This record gives sequence, structure tokens and C-alpha cells, in this order.
Amino acid sequence: MKPAPFVYHRPRTVEEAVALLGLPACKVLAGGQSLVPLMNFRLSRPRHLVDINWLPGLDGVEWDPDQGRLRLGALVRHQVLATHPLVRRHLPVLAEAAGHIGHWAIRSRGTLGGSLAHADPAAELPAAMVALGARFCLRSQSGERWVDAGEFFQGLFTTVLAEDELLTAVEVSVDQSARWGFYEIARRVGDFALAGAYARRRGGVIDLTWFGVGPKPFTVELQAGEAEAALEQVLQTAAEDVAARQWAKVAAMRALQRAGR
Amino acid sequence: MEHSRPQWTGARVARVEDARLLSGRARYLDDLPLPGCLEVAFVRSPHAHARIRRIDPRLALAMPGVVAIWTFSDCPVRLLQSGVYPVGQPALADGEVRYVGEPVVAVFAADRYLAEDAAEAVEVDYEPLPAYVDLAAIVEHPDWAVHPPVDNRYVHREYATEGFDQAFAQAPHHLRVRFRTRRQTAVTLEPRGAAAVFDPASERLTFYASTQSPHRMRGDLAKFLGLPDHRVRVVVPEVGGGFGMKANTYPEDILVAWAALKLGRPVRWVSDRMESLLADAHARDDIHDVEVAFDGEGRIWAVADHLMADGGAYPGYPFSGAVGETGLAAQVLTGPYQIPHLKTTIDCVFSHKTPLGAYRGVWGPIASFVQEGIVDRVARAVGKDPAEVRRLQLIDQFPYRNPAGLVYDPGSYRDSMELALKAIDYDRWRDEQRRGWREGRYLGIGISVFVEPSAMAASESGSIPYEAATLRMEPSGKVTASLGLGPTGQGHETTMAQLIADALGIAVEDVVVLHGDTDSAPLGGGTGGSRSATIGGGAALTAAERLGEKVRRVAAHLLEADFEDVVLAQGQAYVRGVPSRALPLAEVARIAYTDVARLGPELEPGLEVTARYRPPLPMTFSNGTHVAVVEVDIETGLVKVLRYAVVNDCGTLINPQIVEGQIVGGVAQGVGSAFLEELAYSEDGQLTTTTLLDYRLPEATDVPPVEIQHLTTPSASLGGMKGMGEGSLIAAPAALVGAVNDALAPLEVWFSEIPITPEAIVRAVRRRAEAPR
Repeated sequence: MKPAPFVYHRPRTVEEAVALLGLPACKVLAGGQSLVPLMNFRLSRPRHLVDINWLPGLDGVEWDPDQGRLRLGALVRHQVLATHPLVRRHLPVLAEAAGHIGHWAIRSRGTLGGSLAHADPAAELPAAMVALGARFCLRSQSGERWVDAGEFFQGLFTTVLAEDELLTAVEVSVDQSARWGFYEIARRVGDFALAGAYARRRGGVIDLTWFGVGPKPFTVELQAGEAEAALEQVLQTAAEDVAARQWAKVAAMRALQRAGR
Repeated sequence: MEHSRPQWTGARVARVEDARLLSGRARYLDDLPLPGCLEVAFVRSPHAHARIRRIDPRLALAMPGVVAIWTFSDCPVRLLQSGVYPVGQPALADGEVRYVGEPVVAVFAADRYLAEDAAEAVEVDYEPLPAYVDLAAIVEHPDWAVHPPVDNRYVHREYATEGFDQAFAQAPHHLRVRFRTRRQTAVTLEPRGAAAVFDPASERLTFYASTQSPHRMRGDLAKFLGLPDHRVRVVVPEVGGGFGMKANTYPEDILVAWAALKLGRPVRWVSDRMESLLADAHARDDIHDVEVAFDGEGRIWAVADHLMADGGAYPGYPFSGAVGETGLAAQVLTGPYQIPHLKTTIDCVFSHKTPLGAYRGVWGPIASFVQEGIVDRVARAVGKDPAEVRRLQLIDQFPYRNPAGLVYDPGSYRDSMELALKAIDYDRWRDEQRRGWREGRYLGIGISVFVEPSAMAASESGSIPYEAATLRMEPSGKVTASLGLGPTGQGHETTMAQLIADALGIAVEDVVVLHGDTDSAPLGGGTGGSRSATIGGGAALTAAERLGEKVRRVAAHLLEADFEDVVLAQGQAYVRGVPSRALPLAEVARIAYTDVARLGPELEPGLEVTARYRPPLPMTFSNGTHVAVVEVDIETGLVKVLRYAVVNDCGTLINPQIVEGQIVGGVAQGVGSAFLEELAYSEDGQLTTTTLLDYRLPEATDVPPVEIQHLTTPSASLGGMKGMGEGSLIAAPAALVGAVNDALAPLEVWFSEIPITPEAIVRAVRRRAEAPR
């Protein structure tokens, strides 16, 4: 369980980092909580590893009161997401979900950007971003572009992030009228989800976003009152077996319950 | 000042091991500095069954840091226990691979990184062959053979009590159940490993091992390497858990020792976690097809059981876990209950899976799961409370000969259950349960009354029926003890010191306990089968008494008193009734070694003894009761343990804190067994759970607070101790499974397979909901 040989790079600026991304078989090292085990199993064999942990300015949590927008740097650690006063005040559902990621040691290293770029379908944060309608800033040598979370995730561990791009920041516009609920079903505390859901209630409209159910997070809009019956219908196609469908349904119903009336 | 009153035995003495363990200063095998050491990486089989057409190491040999690459012909050793098993595993696969993870090629390089790089470059050309993976199917197909022409059913035994058929037929009611336990492994915190250094000057091999049985390991190395045993020294540094899994000698051990001899350099291999899950001894791959005969009261008349175990591709060395699991399960299958008739059929078969070895409790967790499952099923069949049905048939006369012929020494079977039910407040939980059912809450109470055969003359760690201790009172009056045990975290340095301190009237801190070095320790069987406190403790006590006698003889001479009148207490030898006529032990010892003119001609200089202890009975039975209260979320299938009470009786307690630590650890592992842990194989024999992401261990949040009480029915052994290293894991899965079944009684759901997964619960509940009424 030792990684295959690789060249280690430690850029000091974002510009330097994105320049290095042009190297062949290059991987970005952020918190390393998924990448390093994969490298140790030799399932991932980068020839160049670009360590972005030393880049300045990527670990900020900023609230823009004029826009009603929270900006999160790619290097914000899960433990910071779970505990930061600004996140807890403006997006308590995100703080709650981040607290469900792995264990303290994993949360202290794992990063928001890393989790999003890795796109594990059973992870909490990609679905959170889809549910919250976040957008991501992707930097490359030719500049930056912004992509909606809903378009970013393409499938199992697949995103629109190009090989020469670095995810640097996330922005979430906070809708003060929405009520949120989160629920995750996992075998043990800190495990990846058997199924998890975010529920957003705005007036009579309910949006449910799942993780751990399909190959990527997905959202379904329902009218309040028809929720349970409609859920059965939706999940017929989303999950392949009885237990998985049941977990998807129960996670959604309990998330919805937590979103309140 | 009464010297016979124990001060230390029975006290909650803080473990002397903990300071180094908790501060990270313990030194494990991997921490040893071995200059010039080569590290090994193994090429392991990716196939469950294949012929090896060709191995080409040329590319790998040319890589940086690579010193040698070996195949079977470089280390042509088979770990064969001849006369016991028909086959033995080769140190490296010999032309054919028979399980995923089997070592095929060994790569020796300057470090593990380089060794793994080179291992990847070794080309092995395999011709895949059909794999036999499913135990039930293997038993049904006697023509399937893993080692043709050897009979694939390598152990078959039948047993029945006289009059079984008649008793079985005459019983008014019968039921059948298939119980299934899935593969597990111990997952020690410190993985397996081995390191070897050959000294050409002394022509001695020093072998560092992470093992439970230092002397057995020495014997095995001597045998397979063709060295006399006094040229082999086995040293066991700190060991981070064994649980029976480290009671085997493995192919990697032989390979490392052989390489140190042939390559003339120190060699080390430390398993990584993936290798651990693939190639450490597996356990618990068993099926029990049970038929029970009982009456309308719930009294069980007779039990018939077809016990099947999947032993994997080879028998582990020197014992097969499949044989241990079934052979002893068949003997304790009736547990603490007076069931007069028993019929057992045992079949152990080979498969294309990892060899089965020991895991804490070995047969016990399986036998208890079956035995308590039977009682719960009978209770449900006759519509009685499970505690009531147990009361009908708990053993209360001793010694008790069970239907398999084992003789139980006295225990507290009934008292332990009543006390445990009281501790948990049984009746109140029954009320809660009924209220919960009306509200859609599923609470369940599981009872597991267990027997734990311990301190067996023969156990997995060695077949010698005794233990040995060498005790030396140094010139300072302090004591050095050396034992042949192989502790892996049990705290022997504390408990053995407690026994010795009391026998010599000195303080625990004045005793140093050494173990795990065959150069200093007298030959012992090691640690396993819950034998150390009883047999090892007996050896420590015997040696301490004899040393005390020596000290008293010297003191009597110096004090000009009768030997009979000399008492040892508080670090002094004094004349009974005359405390002023006393000598500090330091003075007695100094004279015994360095001022020997004062001893007179009849006394031998020095204060050193070696003693061996053989218990009077072939085994002694601990007992107790676990009661679990769980809540099942029938929508998610998740189970939460709400309360957990244990009443444990292991005879004399040397150190209650250590006993309680053992119990809590066993309950934790029981949670893993009942709900989480499974080594899963695909149909073609791939192990699909090769990381701790997939092989789920219980976490702190899964383990309930354990409320513990002790009862004390001493054994007939010196000191009155009984073994208790396994009882908690023997009892816990049965209590937890029983609680889940109890919770789901209104839904008529019943589980007789572990682990019980959330998926299994969800499916069972839905099936029931969708079934036509």
C-alpha cells in the first residue's frame, strides 16, 4: 500500500498552480482524504501531484450582505464549514451536513473543493451545492469561468472540470424565505450515505435533493401535500432495489419533516 | 501484618503497560531499528483459483533497490502438520493459486516503496480455473476438490447420545433452523509482521514476531528451517492485538526467516491493511442446520446439528480454524442448559478462500448464537417469555456432565441471569416494549447466558497443558519474573505482578514481568484460549511460593528463627508475633548473593526458581449473562443499542479493571459480529471487502455503555481464577441478535444469519408487509 512514484509540486500562487496543471497525468492534492488512499492502492497513479494547500487566499469564508451571498474558498476544511459562525448563521443546513462527513480527523483535512472535484455520489457536499444552487469558480491559465452546481456534476466521479482547471471558490446566494431540512442514513457515524437528502420548502413548493441514490446528486420539485405519493413514483426509476428505494424515500421524508411547515 | 491476606489480588491496580502505550512510546515490530534491513513486498494471487503458467521477474529484478525475487523453489517449504491434515500451504504458491491474496512471489528490496514498485513489475501468467466459494454448495458437491485427489471434506465426525433418536421422536414439538455466520477476521490494530536477523558469529537466528506463542513459533522455525531450537531466538516486542489471529505461524513468517538466512541481511515484512484483510486468518464461515425437539412447556429434549465450516484453501498452521470452530461448538452446543440429548455431524471442507484460523471465542460466538437462537425460537413457539424458558432448563447442579461429555465445574448460571435481568430492569423494558409496539416503536430485549470453556490443556496457541515462570529476587530485593506467555494487550505485566507481589509480601512496582523472549522465558504455551490468568497465573503463584520459601529459609537462618515462623510482608522477613525481629528483603537478598559466607554450608546461594503449573482439571468454565436492549428503526433497518448489562463470573478476579476492559472490548466486537463485519466474496472468489471502508468495524458510537457486575465462583486451580478473555464476545452477538428478533416479534420476522444488515431488516420487514395475510 505504497503509492507509485510521482513528482511533488508545491506552488505558491494560483497562477503557478494552474500553470502546473498542464503537466501530463497531473492531479491536484487538497485535503487528500480520497486521493491519498486511492494512490496508496495504486488505483490513482498521477505522475505529477500539485499540492494546493500552500496557496494563499483559498480558505476564506466571506459574507456579502449586499448580494446576500456566501463565498467559500476551495480550501475551506469540512470542520470549518461545520463550525464557522457565518456558515451556521446563513446556511445552517450546510454546517449540519458538513458535520456528517467522516470523522474529526477527516473533516480537519478534507476540503470543500476537493470533495466537489472528487464528486463521490454518496458524499454530502456535492448534493448540498446542487440543493443550494451554488456556482463554482474554475480557474485555468486562460482565465476563469463560473459553472452552476447542477451542471458541474456529470455522473459517477465525473465533472465538467477540465484537466487544466482548478476549482477555486464556491458562491451561494442565500434565500431567506426557504426552510431547510437534512437527513442522512448511514451504517455508522461518518460513513458514506446509504441515502441522504436535502429538503427545501418555499411556500407550497418542495425541492428534494438526494445523495447516495443515483450516480450524481439530483433534485425533484414537488407540491406540498402530494409529497409521499409522488416520491414513490420518482424513486421507482432512481434506485434499483427495494432497500435503496426505501432509504431514499425515508431520507427525503425525514429531511422534509425537519424542514418544518 | 498478616502475610496471607492479598493486598494486590482483586484490586484495581492501574496497568503498568498503559503509560508507554498511551504516550506512544511502545515499540512494535515495525519500530525496531534494523540497519541494512531489506523489506519484502509480496505478489499475491488476484485469482481464487488458477494455474501459474509462468513467472517472469526479469523486468522487476532490474529495478532500483531490488536485491532478490523469490518463487516457491527459492523457499520450498510447506506448512504441513503431518498426521493431522492431508495438505499444507506452501510458503509461496507452488504452480497453482487457491485463494485471492495467496503469496506467489516475494520481492526483497531496500525499502517497501521500491519493493512494491518491483512487485508490480513481476509478470505472472495465470490460467484461471473454476473456484469453489459457497460453503453450502461445496458440502453438497463431494466431487468438488480443492486438492484432488484429497477428499475435500477433510474432517467428518459424527456423535450422538445414547437414546437420541427415541428422545427426539417422542418429543411433542419440533422445529428446524439454519444458522449462518459470515466470514470475519480479527483486524488487530497492529498488523501482522516478522523480522529476522541471522548472526553468523553465533550462528543464531533472531526472529522478531508479532505472535501469541513465542515458543511455538521458535519450534516451528527450527523445524522448517532445519535449525536446532537453541540456535533460534524468538523475540516478541509490543503486540497490538492478537485475538487468536496471531496464534498461527504463517507462510510469510517462514519466508522472512528463510530469507534472512539465505540473503545474509536482516529482512522485515509488515502487513498492510489490505494484506491483513486478504491474508490474516479468517474465521466464522459456518452453517448450522439444527433440528430441535421440545415440549409444550418449552423444555428442550434434544438437539441435532449438522455443523459445516469452510476452512478455506489450506488448514492454517498448526491448526485449522474450521476444526476448532466446529469441533468445540459441537461440544458446548447445549451451553448452560440441561438438554439431555445431542446429535452432531461435523463437516469441514476446503474452498478457494483464505484459510480459516482462530478469532476470539473461536467456536463460542457461533455456538452461543445457535444455542440462544434455539431457546428464543422455542420460547416463541410455545408463547412464553424467553427468560421463563431459560429458567426451566438452566444448569444448577455441579459438576455437570453435558450431553457431549464435557464436565462443567461449578458456576453461577441461574444467579447470573437473574442478576442481569434485575440490572437491566427486565420487567420495565417488557412494559416499554408493549407500549412501543402500539406506537410503532420496535424495542427488543435479548438474553444471552453463556458458558466459556477456558484454560484448556490444549488450545490454539500450543498444545502443552502447563505454563512456566522463572522468578528471580535480585540482590536489591526486587523481583524479575519471566513467563512463557504471549500477551497481546491483556495486561499480564500488571496481573502477574499482582499475584507475585502478594505471594512475596512486596509491592507491585517491585516486580518486573518479562515475556516474549525465548532466551529469557521458560518454555510456555503462550496466550490463547483464555489460559493465561489460570494456567500462567498458577505458574506465577507456584514460582512465587517456592521463591518465598527460599527467601524464608535464608531469613530464618539469619534471624535464628524456625523456618515455619518466618513471614514475608511489607518488603520484610520477620518472625511471627515479633515484628521487631525483622530483616528487609533487600538485606536477605544481598546476603544470599554477595555475602554467602553468612548462609552456612546447607543453604544454596542465590534466589531463583523456575516452576511449572498444570491445572487439576482439563478446563474450567466461566459463565455469565449478557442482556441487550435495542431499538430497531424498521424504516431504515438501523439498530441502536439502548442498554447493555453484563454479569460475569470468572472465579477469582485478579484485577477487576482489566476484566472489565476485556468485557467491554468483547461487547464491541460482538456489535461488529452482529451488525457490521463481513468478509464478502463474489461468486468467482474475489474478496470484495479489502479496505476498512468495506469491512466495517464497530466505532465508539456503535458501542453502548456496558454495565458490569461480577459474581465469583472460584475454579479448582491455584488462585481460583477462570479464563475470561473470550466470554464477552461469545455472549454478545447472541444477545444482540436476540434483541433484534425480540423487537420484530410482532412482524414475525426472524434472523438466523449474522451480520444482520440494515438491508436485511428493510427487506424482511417489507416482505412481511407485502405478504398476503
